[in-house]
Amino acid sequence: MSAIARSVRPFASRVLSQKLPLSGVGRVSPAAGFPRGSARSFSQSPFLALKKYAESHEWIELAADGKTAKVGITEYAAKSLGDVVFVELPEIDAEVNAHDPVGAVESVKSASDVHSPAAGRVTKVNTVLEDNAKFINESPEGEAWIAEIEVSDPAELDSLLDAAAYKELVDEESN
Amino acid sequence: MYGVCIVSVVRSTEYLKLLLLRIISWVSILQDRSSPVSMRPLRRGACLRLSSLQTPTWSARAALRPVFVRYNSSFSSDQFAQLASRESSRHQIYQSCSTDPYVNLSIEHFLLENAPPDSSILFLYINQPCVVIGRNQNPWHETNLLALQNDREPGKNDQGALFVRRRSGGGAVYHDEGNLNYSVISPRTTFTRDKHAEMVVRALHRVGATNTKVNDRHDIVMSTGQPQPRKISGSAFKLTRHRALHHGTCLLDTPNINRLGSFLRSPARDYIKAKGVESVRSPVANVSSVFVDAMMPFSTERVMASIIEEFAQMYQVDADAVRRAQRAHVLEPELYAGDTWVAGAVGEPQGYGEPEIRKGIDELTSLEWKYTQTPRFTFSTYPIEDDPRERPPLPSSLPPATRVFLRLKHGAIIESHISASSDAAVASEQAAHVHEALNGRKLHEITPAQWREVLLDRLGADVEGQSLEELAKFIGGKLGWDTSS
Repeated sequence: MSAIARSVRPFASRVLSQKLPLSGVGRVSPAAGFPRGSARSFSQSPFLALKKYAESHEWIELAADGKTAKVGITEYAAKSLGDVVFVELPEIDAEVNAHDPVGAVESVKSASDVHSPAAGRVTKVNTVLEDNAKFINESPEGEAWIAEIEVSDPAELDSLLDAAAYKELVDEESN
Repeated sequence: MYGVCIVSVVRSTEYLKLLLLRIISWVSILQDRSSPVSMRPLRRGACLRLSSLQTPTWSARAALRPVFVRYNSSFSSDQFAQLASRESSRHQIYQSCSTDPYVNLSIEHFLLENAPPDSSILFLYINQPCVVIGRNQNPWHETNLLALQNDREPGKNDQGALFVRRRSGGGAVYHDEGNLNYSVISPRTTFTRDKHAEMVVRALHRVGATNTKVNDRHDIVMSTGQPQPRKISGSAFKLTRHRALHHGTCLLDTPNINRLGSFLRSPARDYIKAKGVESVRSPVANVSSVFVDAMMPFSTERVMASIIEEFAQMYQVDADAVRRAQRAHVLEPELYAGDTWVAGAVGEPQGYGEPEIRKGIDELTSLEWKYTQTPRFTFSTYPIEDDPRERPPLPSSLPPATRVFLRLKHGAIIESHISASSDAAVASEQAAHVHEALNGRKLHEITPAQWREVLLDRLGADVEGQSLEELAKFIGGKLGWDTSS
């Protein structure tokens, strides 16, 4: 992605999310939506809309508070990496930019970084992975999340892929 | 200027090379007196020395070989970064004229990060003696730090093999001048973990080592008639979004084949339990051992040429690029490029000249990267829940009730129990007292003298001084310090 696109996109998505209530992730947050009646209905079933994917095969799922999000690697990534033998977790309170490493995994002699799909501050790490790195192969998009971050700008998630778009990317890559 | 006047007289390139070499060694003697890069003890290759002669040699070469300019052009070596990241540089083949592992690993990393996403790159290099551990390994557990250069206490032992942590995964390996490293960087979509090891096997078969094959660990082994095949090459990988780096060692002809295991055997292996990646020990052999009775002598150059050949076939590399790559002499930092390719020799001038590579070198040489990048581990002289193994008896010079336990995170002590009393209450008091002095300290920074100081200060009232001296020596020794004095 070019530098220009990177800097323009969050802005564009912010503008969009203001104009079109349906597209905004920020809109789904009950806290943000509360004072404005029109947004409240979206807080009822936020989960489906809140999981987004990065082209580098990570997922991010915004919690109901609209601020914190779990980050992990996708099923596809876990499968293509093979047996994970070690997960390097980030430091609590570390500030990460979008695309910055927020951890690393090693599998079959291969080191790969895990990139944060969005900017934020690390609030929790999944310590289960310290003792059981393999867990990542068992539940990459579920319990084996890597870190929880407090997202700097939830609207940044708008520029990420939704499930359908990510599936398309994976299909394309595996051909 | 010496280069120029000789070139104008001498026509034979072989003779010219000899003369140049002589000048280089002469210049290098002068240089070594006031060496500009002598911060770190390096065995510098001729490459760096030659850089001072660069301008005259370039003009000399251009004058001698005008014919090649028609097909492809030579470039000054400071254009390496630019050529490597050029969008059309789809095939790149380099040899290194540096034997510095930090430089070579950082050039390689630069290529991984900066070459175009659809390019395929071969990089061949030979390192000075060093032990290289995987990114997620523990130096205290995987290496015999005492046998390596002491980078933790500058000015002490700066002889011997270097200790290096690489950015790729996998286990610990030993390198020296008899070990050839190959590195292939290619698009991730078409990458498999075996394909480049297979490529090297084909290259080895081509030179006559037909008893080699890739095993299920993506390593190359050689059958030697013994029941267990001998490992000759170990693989490791670094994956990014679009790219895959596969690098491997290849023990061609190391004189240290019978003692390289001693660099990889830690004195603390009975005491340490580490998270992260443990090395898998394998018996090793030199590829050259196959040629002991052969008519044709073994040569590293032939293996390199053969790997280049196989790489070129695999990725359909332009014949000009192959010709240039084959000709790249490790003494001459020269680069050639066509529309779609770059080939030639790179080394320290590129490493230190390109800011991004320089940054990589600084990171790899930092003690933070080498030591504090270590995954969590425990060191314990007695069985603990995390590591219930039976322990060997402690030296008789220590009080029989001596207990040493350390828990480390990012190479720093976060929990400890060091005591010498058989009375549980006293022992735990002693341990608490010692821990106050150790808590948060980075293990690699605690010298034997500091261990001694801490123990005498914290336990001196309870325990005999001589015993504490011995304890400091014991701990220091297990952690790879020279405690003979």
